[in-house]
Amino acid sequence: MKIKAAGFSDTGVKRDSNEDALAVDDSIGLYIVADGMGGHLAGEVASNVAVNIIQKNVNHWVTNNSSEDNIFDFPDSALSRRGNYILSSIKLANRVIHEMSNEYEEYKGMGTTIVVLSIMPSTVIAANVGDSRIYLIRENTIETLSKEHSLVSEQLEMGLISKEEAETSPLRHMLTRNLGSSDTVNADVFEIKPMNNDRFLLCTDGLTDLVSKDEILEIVKNGDDPENLCQQLVSEAKKRGGHDNITVSLIFADEIDDKMPGLIKKFRYLFKK
Amino acid sequence: MARVILVFNKKVIKEYPFDKESMAIGRNEANDIVIDNLAVSSLHARIDKAGETYIITDLQSTNGTFVNNKQITAHKLQHKDKIVIGKHLLFFALSREEQAKVKKADIDKTMILDTSKQKELLARNADKDVKKERIGVINFIDGSGEGEIQLIKKLTKIGKADTSEIRLGGLFMPATAATISRRPNGYAITATGGRTKVKVNDQVIKESYFLKDFDTIEIGSYKFQFYIQGSEDEK
Repeated sequence: MKIKAAGFSDTGVKRDSNEDALAVDDSIGLYIVADGMGGHLAGEVASNVAVNIIQKNVNHWVTNNSSEDNIFDFPDSALSRRGNYILSSIKLANRVIHEMSNEYEEYKGMGTTIVVLSIMPSTVIAANVGDSRIYLIRENTIETLSKEHSLVSEQLEMGLISKEEAETSPLRHMLTRNLGSSDTVNADVFEIKPMNNDRFLLCTDGLTDLVSKDEILEIVKNGDDPENLCQQLVSEAKKRGGHDNITVSLIFADEIDDKMPGLIKKFRYLFKK
Repeated sequence: MARVILVFNKKVIKEYPFDKESMAIGRNEANDIVIDNLAVSSLHARIDKAGETYIITDLQSTNGTFVNNKQITAHKLQHKDKIVIGKHLLFFALSREEQAKVKKADIDKTMILDTSKQKELLARNADKDVKKERIGVINFIDGSGEGEIQLIKKLTKIGKADTSEIRLGGLFMPATAATISRRPNGYAITATGGRTKVKVNDQVIKESYFLKDFDTIEIGSYKFQFYIQGSEDEK
C-alpha cells in the first residue's frame, strides 16, 4: 500500500493562539486532528494532550498486538481490533483531560474535539467526537465519514429544524459531546474498505465553517500533492475571514492490493513448513 | 412570538403560535393544544406567559410532564426545550427577536454546554443511540438455507477467507468479494475486486453503493436481499 500524507495547522486571521493540534504518523498509518476549547491556553493543552495520548497508546497497542482485554475500558464487539484501539485511546484521552480539568484551576472547563483516521490495506477506521470532520473523496464524490455531535445537527436529525436553519443557527457551535467535560465519552467509529486513489481529509470547523463540502471536493480532486493541497485549503479559509484556527490533514491511499494471489500464498506456506 | 410544535413519532403534527397569555394542554377538546391519547390527562399541563418568560406547569396529571427528560411540576421554558407528555413531544421555540434578547453570546466561538445540561444530553444520547441504531440484515434467498444474517459489525467482509463475517464457497470466490460498511448515511456495499461479480438489483457495481430496503445483492451464485430491521416503535 502506498500512502502520501500531510498535515497543516494555521492560527487563522482573528485569533491570537492556535488551539488546534494534529499528528501525522505514517509508521502505523494514524492521523489525528483536534480542536481545543477553554479559556487561556487550556484549549491548547486539551487538544495536544488528546493527540499525544491517542498517538502513543495506539502505537503501543499496535506494536504489541495487544488483545482487546488489555486496553482501556470495554471493547465494542462491532469493531475490529484496530477499531477498538482507537475507540479505547479516545476514551482514555477523555478521562485524562477530564481529570486534569478537575485537578487544576487553570484547566477548568477545557475540552477538545477529536478526529482520528487509521489506514490499513484491509480497513480504514474513522472515529470522531465533536464537530471536526472526516471526508472521504472517492472518484468525483465526497462523503462525510464522521458524525457531528452538536445540538443543531441533533435537531436536524430529529427533523425539528431545516438544513437552512441549521446552517445559520446561533447554536451551531454548541457541542453535545467533547473530550474533557464528562468522565466518560462515546465516539462514533466507522470502518470501511479502502479503494485505490481514496483521499481522506481530516479538518476542524475553521475550514468547514468557511469552505463548503463541494468546494473542498473541487480543491482536493484537482491536485496530487497533499502538502500543497493542505496549504490551498487553509489559504482559502483565510481568504474568507479565517475567524478560527484552521487545521487540515490529507491522506492519499493507493496501490492497496499488495496481497499475493491465494494459491501462491498457500504454496509458500507449505514450503516454509 | 413563541411557538409550540407538536411532534409525534418524529413527525410534526401541528404548530401552535403562542398568541395568548396562557395555553392549556390536554386530551379534552376545550384545550388549546389537544393531544388525543389515553396517556394524556384531560387537562394535563399549562404554559403561561409571564412578561418575557414562559412557564410550564404540570396540572397534577396522571402520567406527568417532562422537560428535557426531567419530570417537572413547574419549569421556566427555554428556547428549544423539549416537553414530553405521554408519547408526544412538544418542542418549544422562541422567535428570532425573543432569542436575540436572551442571547448575546459570541456565536463564532465554540462552546461547551454547561455540565448539568450536557450530562442530560449525554444520557439521552446514550439511550437514543441504542434505540435509534437500526440494524441492517441480509437474507439468503438462493435456498442455501443460511437464513438471515444481521450486519452488526461496522465492517462486514464477505468472501472465502476464514476471517470473513460471511463465508462463501465457490471456485472463483475471492478471499474478500465484497464488504458492507455501516457509515454515517447508511449501509454501503463495496465490491473489492476479484473475478466474482457483485450485482445489486441486477446491476454490476464497481465500487460503492448505498443499500436501500429490499435491494437484492448477487455475489457469484449467491443471492441475498438487504433490509433494515424493525424500527424502534415495534418494541
